[in-house]
Amino acid sequence: MSPLTTLGLAASSLIERPLRTLLTSLGIIIGVAAVYAMLSIGEGTKREVEKQLSSMASRSFTIWPDWNRRRTSQSKPSFPFKESDVEEIRNIAGVFAATGSLQRNSTTISTEIGDTTANFLGVDPDYLKSGGQEMLAGENISYTDIEQSAPVVVISDGIQKTLFKNQDPIGLPIKVNNITFTVKGVTTAPDSNISFGGNADMFVWAPTSSARNRIIGGNPYVRNHIRSIRVIGDIGANFPQIEQEINIIMRRSRDIKTGAPPDYRIFSSRGWQERNAKSQKTISYLLAAMGAISLLVGGVGVMNIMLVSVTERTREIGLRMAMGAQKSDIMSQFLAEALLICVLSGLIGLGAGYGLSQISLGSEEIKMVFSSKIALLSFGSALLIGVIFGFLPARRAARLNPIEALRHE
Amino acid sequence: MKLPLIKCNDLTKVYKMGQSEVYALNGVSLEITKGEFVAIIGSSGSGKSTLMNMLGGLDKPSSGEIRINGENLSTMSGKKLAQFRNVTIGFVFQQFQLLPKKTAHKNVSLPLQYRRPKPDNIDASVKKGLEMVGLADRAAHRPTELSGGQQQRVAIARALVGNPQVLLADEPTGALDSKTSEAIMTLLQDLNRQGITIIVITHEDEVAAYAERVIEFRDGEIISDHIKKAA
Repeated sequence: MSPLTTLGLAASSLIERPLRTLLTSLGIIIGVAAVYAMLSIGEGTKREVEKQLSSMASRSFTIWPDWNRRRTSQSKPSFPFKESDVEEIRNIAGVFAATGSLQRNSTTISTEIGDTTANFLGVDPDYLKSGGQEMLAGENISYTDIEQSAPVVVISDGIQKTLFKNQDPIGLPIKVNNITFTVKGVTTAPDSNISFGGNADMFVWAPTSSARNRIIGGNPYVRNHIRSIRVIGDIGANFPQIEQEINIIMRRSRDIKTGAPPDYRIFSSRGWQERNAKSQKTISYLLAAMGAISLLVGGVGVMNIMLVSVTERTREIGLRMAMGAQKSDIMSQFLAEALLICVLSGLIGLGAGYGLSQISLGSEEIKMVFSSKIALLSFGSALLIGVIFGFLPARRAARLNPIEALRHE
Repeated sequence: MKLPLIKCNDLTKVYKMGQSEVYALNGVSLEITKGEFVAIIGSSGSGKSTLMNMLGGLDKPSSGEIRINGENLSTMSGKKLAQFRNVTIGFVFQQFQLLPKKTAHKNVSLPLQYRRPKPDNIDASVKKGLEMVGLADRAAHRPTELSGGQQQRVAIARALVGNPQVLLADEPTGALDSKTSEAIMTLLQDLNRQGITIIVITHEDEVAAYAERVIEFRDGEIISDHIKKAA
């Protein structure tokens, strides 16, 4: 019998029993849809996590002196950092940006138009990059500005809107605590993941040197001091390695003896984000397993109904054998039936899964991703189910004795 | 004298029933020539059905040899036997054995679906088969829409569609009333006159009366073999 005839035979037998076919396929449809949905939720989550892990925030380390340390005979007071520390860290392999800054919160900023309260920072050129920010107008703080302790500032978009209205602020004077600076550039607000609360869009940057000399003041122990250091690693960099090298640099610079506790802290959100990613992964495996189980149950349903079908059609099988059907003809007839039902329900299930993933696109909590790999995987598993669970009933049919089969009531 | 189409030599068939052995066939030798109309009669358990299953290639003898058309059925593989059934034998059953959801046309075409290589004029052959049994206008009907006699005619058309050497009919009138039985047997007689070898298994003498030759079985053995003189 030709494959096409066999397929036609299988198809007509499914059509002749529409309700049964529908109910049997339901199991596979739900199974495939579940596998598809679960896998794409898993994939969506994975991509979300990857995105998070490659974001500025998760690539960043912030280093602060340990303010909680008390001066004891064993330890020195916790000094601020030096500008040279930042330069050394910037040279570590895999570091995208390293920046040192000074900060004075709630500083009065004024122009001819008005005044406001904002954060005043002393920064180096890398500060822009490390915050994921861009210049909207003018220029960034330069190393020359730091060398010359130039009285220039870069202001935020928010400051421009508040204190300059529609004016072009570049080259105009601005007062920080009544000391006059010249506006050099305008920048965007930082990456929302990297700033910690507060009025993120209200800030003024000056070169570290001018900020120290004119507004914030020096440190009695450390020349050219800075308050904190922010380090951003490259995407996919070896973060533990970077952290280790930062430690080496800091310990040497701060003369901490081997084995002594550090007098600074390195903060990173990477640790909990990686743990988060791991638990997301576990959850998506769990979901996929649940999908697989429902597919398995669907497969058992197919096998069950195929066994019933073989029993019910015993006489037909006997007749076909008497008319000259080979064992292989009978086998392929029933196998084709199981396969056909699984392929068709697989396709419908895939459609249902895809529909679900389209609906979920609007949702914030569930991220589903369409991928041909996932589609192929869930469809392939339906096919596999058809072969595995169709085989036993088909073999039973092919092994019937035609004489007994013909007598079957 | 024509060469025998069917030649059975010392056939036995033994069934084990617990400790004892039951001989369904016990040393049956038989020759049937092409074009004969043979009735095999006997009460139930006489071995006539066992013989028919063997002639049809559905069962194998415990010992002895069956040759049909020169081919030895006793040594054929299952695959060969299936092909033999398809090409050489046409079956007619007591319960018709039609597929209830298929039309008469589909039912009749069944043997041709298993023919290798696939014949290219299946529809024409099926039409011819239905014409031979006088049911050309019922091709699109399902078995449930046909009377018992019509159903058996469809079954006969199905048996004939593949141009078999032998038509094997197992109690073909067993499920029919006497009037319909008569019509079916007359049809078989007509077909025989057209040259088809027919073997009918029955327990009714009235049915056997249509045949030219009557072989009687009892307890697995042939007890008589009459050839009627042409009337």
